[in-house]
Amino acid sequence: MAGSALRRLMAEYKQLTLNPPEGIIAGPINEENFFEWEALITGPEGTCFEGGVFPAKLIFPPDYPLSPPKMQFTCEMFHPNIYADGRVCISILHAPGDDPMGYESSAERWSPVQSVEKILLSVVSMLAEPNDESGANVDAAKMWRENREEFNRIAERIVRRTLGIPT
Amino acid sequence: MRSLGISVLSLTLTTIVIANAYYQKKQFYPSVVYITKSNPSMAVIYIQAFICVLIVGKIMRKIFFGQLRSAEFEHLMERSWYAITETCLAFTVFRDDFNPKFVALFTLLLFLKSFHWLAEDRVDYMERSPVISLLFHIRVLSLLLLLGSLDLHFIQHAYQSTVSKGASVQLVFGFEYAILLTVVINIAIKYALHSVDLNSETPWDNKAVFLLYTELIMGFIKVILYVAFVAIMVRIYTLPLFAFRPMYYTIRNFKKAFSDVILSRRAIYNMNTLYPDATPEELQAADNVCIICREEMTTASKKLPCNHIFHTSCLRSWFQRQQTCPTCRLNILRTPTSNNNEPRQDQRHRQVPPPNPFFNPFGGQNPFQMFGQNNQPQPQAQPAAAGAPSGAQNATNAPQANPNIPPFVFPPFPFMPFMAPPPMPPPNLQSLSPEELRRMEGNERQNVEARIQCLRNIQVMLDAAVVMMQQYSAAAALSSQAPGGEPQPGPSTSGTPPTCNGTTPKSPINLPTSSVINNNVESDSVPSTSTSSETPEATPTESVALTPEEEVRRRRLQKFQQAAEQ
Repeated sequence: MAGSALRRLMAEYKQLTLNPPEGIIAGPINEENFFEWEALITGPEGTCFEGGVFPAKLIFPPDYPLSPPKMQFTCEMFHPNIYADGRVCISILHAPGDDPMGYESSAERWSPVQSVEKILLSVVSMLAEPNDESGANVDAAKMWRENREEFNRIAERIVRRTLGIPT
Repeated sequence: MRSLGISVLSLTLTTIVIANAYYQKKQFYPSVVYITKSNPSMAVIYIQAFICVLIVGKIMRKIFFGQLRSAEFEHLMERSWYAITETCLAFTVFRDDFNPKFVALFTLLLFLKSFHWLAEDRVDYMERSPVISLLFHIRVLSLLLLLGSLDLHFIQHAYQSTVSKGASVQLVFGFEYAILLTVVINIAIKYALHSVDLNSETPWDNKAVFLLYTELIMGFIKVILYVAFVAIMVRIYTLPLFAFRPMYYTIRNFKKAFSDVILSRRAIYNMNTLYPDATPEELQAADNVCIICREEMTTASKKLPCNHIFHTSCLRSWFQRQQTCPTCRLNILRTPTSNNNEPRQDQRHRQVPPPNPFFNPFGGQNPFQMFGQNNQPQPQAQPAAAGAPSGAQNATNAPQANPNIPPFVFPPFPFMPFMAPPPMPPPNLQSLSPEELRRMEGNERQNVEARIQCLRNIQVMLDAAVVMMQQYSAAAALSSQAPGGEPQPGPSTSGTPPTCNGTTPKSPINLPTSSVINNNVESDSVPSTSTSSETPEATPTESVALTPEEEVRRRRLQKFQQAAEQ
């Protein structure tokens, strides 16, 4: 019998393949290693990221689901809650105890109840509604607050780039 | 491609150097002497040797690991840099016997170390991949065997050299290989555990515990080795700076393993003592899937105080990290288990049929019967006053202490309808159902609201008591002014809160009762209460010498004594 982390990831993969949530595709990059996943997230409709398809990588710890996975966009992103290198900063991905931004309550932190699907849905809603209190990308947070038009322009450029359309 | 180019370049250079030497000297021995005497030639030869080592490493890697995964490669690179730095530091300690052989030995050590790291990563990978082929097992087993025997051989060699020639750099190698040997043993144990787990049909719940203890014991051995090594090095040579970083990490890992074991033991203990096993009915009622591992719960599963059910093993590994319910984040260490409380609560409900004194002024019973009843407001006041989850336990413990208490009847607010009306009575707190109690436990919004509501009820009761006390003291003041009235019953007792235990508070509560019942704040009400409750024999004997006030007080005291005896 395989390890519990592996079994749980296989169960989640099966679930995501059978009932994929709208706008989200996710699965292991290589089915020999279930601890590295790839996900494609479509930008939520009605937002500046609409129409984009954003690839991301999920790295699961050996003790998943007791510890949260790490998520990193592999395309260029400009968003208040995404670091410049693509790492996603949302509270659901932080284990209770570590609080990089110092504003999260433990109620919204990682717990084994969470899943890949919930993470990706949270990321979709994060794309739609950035939390400009946490400054993973301070420039983006500032622009989101003060110069929304410019922010939208950059977002649109990123969307076009992910689709391979020349800007 | 680039490495191939470098290899080819190095090979050509070496060929040129050797060809040149042979061309000049024409014979084998003079050419060797020529090469060793010429620095540029030796540099070329060293580079060639280094590249040979790398090529051998690559071949070995191909044999034992096949393609390295990117994570493994990154890990290897990161550790190599530290190891190389530390080796350079080690060179400074042993600069006196710095020679090619010495460098070669260190290179070999580094080489073997890197294979230990790779083996470790590879065995950890067993838990991650669903496809573990036979080739994987053969590779890991042969590699572990090879590394283990090499380590043993070098330890032996170092030991013999130290014993025969005294302390030398071999001391360092002896310790390094001893530590590597513990690594090999650790990997082998892990591999065995993983293999057993892979081949068993059912999930092996205790594997995590075995792994923890392996980690602890191996960590301990390593710490001892490092401490002994540093101690010996300080005595013979100097402070071995190069050993500090690995020693620090070893000690840190050992500390972590130690605290993990403690946490795990505590989690197991809590699991076995505090939480009941989930019954099949409860499993049926829930959706029967453990939210931690997403698998059906057929075997051992536990129910938390918040009624969430999980696999015992899943819960154990989670509690090692955090003592909260994974679903609702209820802090399980601070909350007493509701299951233990339920039977007690039920018992209390049976014992104490909830009388509602507020809507039942006389309740069909003689109000003076209350004298005989032990005033017991505490179990009501405490759960709400404490508010916190711990209060729930007090609530259940208090009635147990006095199981024979007659039904509690609240002090008679309703007898005061003629002055300021008392506040609206809250629902009787004693009749809190288990559901209501459970609603107050927890950290969610509704729990907090329920607790606040409970506290408000208490406040209303206290307000009512204050109003009553004011009315009573007003009545007492009036009655003391009245001629022949009772002089100071109120002031002496009015300060006592109505919720106190014991007999004293009963008089101030009941006195106004009778006075107000009679609807005139007159002194004659008090004697009427006394006479009505059979205390006639006290009066005749001593009343002759006493003033009327003292007589009245004496009678009341006697009556209380009787009440207490009853």
